[in-house]
Amino acid sequence: MPRITCFSRNRSTSVEDVDDQTLRCTCRLQDTLMEAFVEITVGLPDLEITSVKGEVKQANDASCLEATDFLQQAVGVRVGPGMQKIFEGLLGAATDCKQLIFMLEECCHGIILRFTKDAVEKFPADKEEAITYLSNDVKKHIRLYNRCAAFGPGSRIVEGIEPPHSA
Amino acid sequence: MRSMLQYMRNKLVNISREDENTLLAYGVLDDDLYSLWIKATISLSNLEILSIEGGWNRFTTPECWRAIAPLQEAVGLRIEPGMRQNIQKAVSRKACRHFANILLECCHTAKEAAALMKGERPEKAKDVPERTKPVGEEATKEISAAPVGPREGVAERKKVKKRAVRTKPSGGTVIDLHVHTSPASPCSSAPVDELIEEAKRIGLDGICLTDHNYVWDPEEVNDLRQKHGFLILRGNEITTNQGDMVVFGLDKDIKGIIKLEELREEVLNAGGFMVVAHPFRGFLVFNVGQIGLTPEKAMERPLFQLVDAVEVMNSKVTEDENDFAAKVAEGLGLPSTGGSDAHEVPEVGIYTTRFFANIKDEKDLIKALKSGNYEPLAYRSEYLEEI
Repeated sequence: MPRITCFSRNRSTSVEDVDDQTLRCTCRLQDTLMEAFVEITVGLPDLEITSVKGEVKQANDASCLEATDFLQQAVGVRVGPGMQKIFEGLLGAATDCKQLIFMLEECCHGIILRFTKDAVEKFPADKEEAITYLSNDVKKHIRLYNRCAAFGPGSRIVEGIEPPHSA
Repeated sequence: MRSMLQYMRNKLVNISREDENTLLAYGVLDDDLYSLWIKATISLSNLEILSIEGGWNRFTTPECWRAIAPLQEAVGLRIEPGMRQNIQKAVSRKACRHFANILLECCHTAKEAAALMKGERPEKAKDVPERTKPVGEEATKEISAAPVGPREGVAERKKVKKRAVRTKPSGGTVIDLHVHTSPASPCSSAPVDELIEEAKRIGLDGICLTDHNYVWDPEEVNDLRQKHGFLILRGNEITTNQGDMVVFGLDKDIKGIIKLEELREEVLNAGGFMVVAHPFRGFLVFNVGQIGLTPEKAMERPLFQLVDAVEVMNSKVTEDENDFAAKVAEGLGLPSTGGSDAHEVPEVGIYTTRFFANIKDEKDLIKALKSGNYEPLAYRSEYLEEI
């Protein structure tokens, strides 16, 4: 029997530089039941959210069909570690539509990854040189230690580096 | 003219039915940096992940391949409340956050598919009523907000190494102003008794319990003080829309996210003191310099007008981020504090604050904080050595 897909989802997040001081990130979602987008602009150098737009074109979840004004509470929040907790606290009380909050977070992650891309472009192409380069990064920013499997115990990147908090 | 895209991420998830009681979720994440896929089978009856496999097409480090084996940690997890935290714990740190991201997407999608199959969802999605239009195009605010948030998974507790005090700073009172205990802070693995004993052993004069949005009962703290014969003070780390604040002298139990201006008012009314915690806790693979942030620019952030002091030594941020905070505090003429932000026993005392006055209780602490007569110390690295 052919195995036909019973539910599909596409999510696309893109970041563009509006000008030297502004980034725009858009997250678009389309799945079997829902179609929505969230767009934020972020000011540099503080990475502060300066505007938010949201639209739900269709949804099966009634809470997502309500007005998206609650997203405005994200204006002023800075993109960075821990924003998920702030968004959940600020916006979670105003809506049950978790999908829109998630899309807002995806936009923010897009902004971070846009800068991560710049950092990754500096990694050496040679494998051994890359290990040395990344190892030096961990020594400099010990929080990277055990951040993921690539930076965890057993990885060549952290070989010989003392785990944090035991120093 | 549209500006050029600087980054793009596409995610695709398809759900199909393997058999009567099994869904197959196939997810792909493809962006400028990573390309990876996941296949997971999920029980339709209880939404448990039955099996998982995954693979890379593109990655960034020569060791990313190590993320594949730990994906098995997700087997047995159920799609239920708390799933996000469970996936972050099981996959994000042990394997890779991007695999965790697409797995989470697969789980959300499988849940929707299951609900649709069980008739819990209308087969036809509803269009949005006319009134729901895009909003917020004009919305801007001048306030800024420091990103803060949940602590990453707490690592297994390590055996405390024996240390001895080499040269303790003479005079005054050395206090770790920022520690978290278990279970008061869910992200901490440090039982309060063990933390206190460790603080005593390394020669601190006191600690301040600053659990997240948690008000310690004064009687309970007094009992701990008597039991251990040690100075134990109370504070509270409160999450605001502009970041984490460590407050002292505020007994009000604040839950959820509070606006910084409102917290400021509460602290002022209580005659307390407010320190902005780790104000520049930042990113892992790029730094504040990369986005063009300078101390001078950072000093303009309105939040610094609402705090009494700046935490410039915190063990959860990089030295560069601490140095940056110190420059900002100095530029603004704000007092500087140090605190370990310990979440594990061996972390207590990494950073401390040395008060030049003697402190015996919370009244003394508030008075000393308001005097500005103190300095942050890298206590463990400067005053301890292994024996």
